[in-house]
Amino acid sequence: MPFVAVITLVVFGVTAVVGVLGYLIDRSVRRHDRT
Amino acid sequence: MISSLTPTHIHLLLNHFPTIGFSIAIGLFIGAIVSRSDDLKKASLTVLVAVAILTFPTYLSGNAADQAIRNMPDVSKTLIATHEGAALISFVLMEMTGAAAWLALWQMRRVGSVSARTLGTVLLLSAITMGLVTRAANIGGEIRHSEIRLATESTTLEGPIGRDVAAWVNDVAWVWPALESLHFIGLTLLMGTILVINVRMLGLMKQVPLDAIDRLIPWGVLGFGLNVVTGMLFFIAVPQQYTQNVAFIWKVGLILVAAFNGLYFTAYDRAWAMEPEGDAPALSKAMAVSAFVLWVGVMYYGSMLPFIGDSV
Repeated sequence: MPFVAVITLVVFGVTAVVGVLGYLIDRSVRRHDRT
Repeated sequence: MISSLTPTHIHLLLNHFPTIGFSIAIGLFIGAIVSRSDDLKKASLTVLVAVAILTFPTYLSGNAADQAIRNMPDVSKTLIATHEGAALISFVLMEMTGAAAWLALWQMRRVGSVSARTLGTVLLLSAITMGLVTRAANIGGEIRHSEIRLATESTTLEGPIGRDVAAWVNDVAWVWPALESLHFIGLTLLMGTILVINVRMLGLMKQVPLDAIDRLIPWGVLGFGLNVVTGMLFFIAVPQQYTQNVAFIWKVGLILVAAFNGLYFTAYDRAWAMEPEGDAPALSKAMAVSAFVLWVGVMYYGSMLPFIGDSV
């Protein structure tokens, strides 16, 4: 795989993981606030 | 004499925190669980986070100490590499413990109580970390104390993993540029959160409810985590490029103080003791100003790393 394609995949992949983690934490906070 | 203080002195001074400091923190934490005291829980979790923060300079100064002694007679480079590998594994677990302890503190403030699952995670990670850090400390002691050395040099299952990680970062072409990009993404998450929280603390955007701002904190912490991982990989790859660089020493010093500043905002009610659209306490305002100064300093010295360079 070309060099730039690997970097792009890794950077977007890790960022997506961080985004999902942030969303899950935020969802748990929202759920708590509603109760 | 303070003028003759070297990174080796700093390593010898700091290496007691992840061992002795951590044992005291675990003792307090177990005491807090047994006595069901929320105050003791908060105190012990704060000490656990503080030890995790102090483990940063302990690990970093270890590489400087390595460069200072590696060519001395009677010093085994293999033993140093084994110590570095064991220290790296225990460092990772220590930071995971610190992150879990921080999460428990944050839950106590944000939700009002900490879940049994989080407490169990802190306890489990602490126990594993204690074992690993004791082993790393023992191997480190053997480097200069031949009297405690066994006939055969200590080895670990993972071997000199620090050098293996360095080879991966240095030799695989895509790793360093990908880490650089992720370091900047982490920086934007962290700085964005810090900007919004501290601007609000200083009295701007009062119409934004505190709860909404509070909910940004995990995003900032995730950014910080991303930068810890990527930053440490840079350091492990070429430690000599950093340990001899005065800009790096300033950067790390400021990060340490900024981390304690962040602990104040994220884990303690006192910082948020105000009406939803009211004025922040004077201490929070002072901490907000110091947060800006510290983080701008971190970014400044981070950018200046290649320009200030080797002037220690």
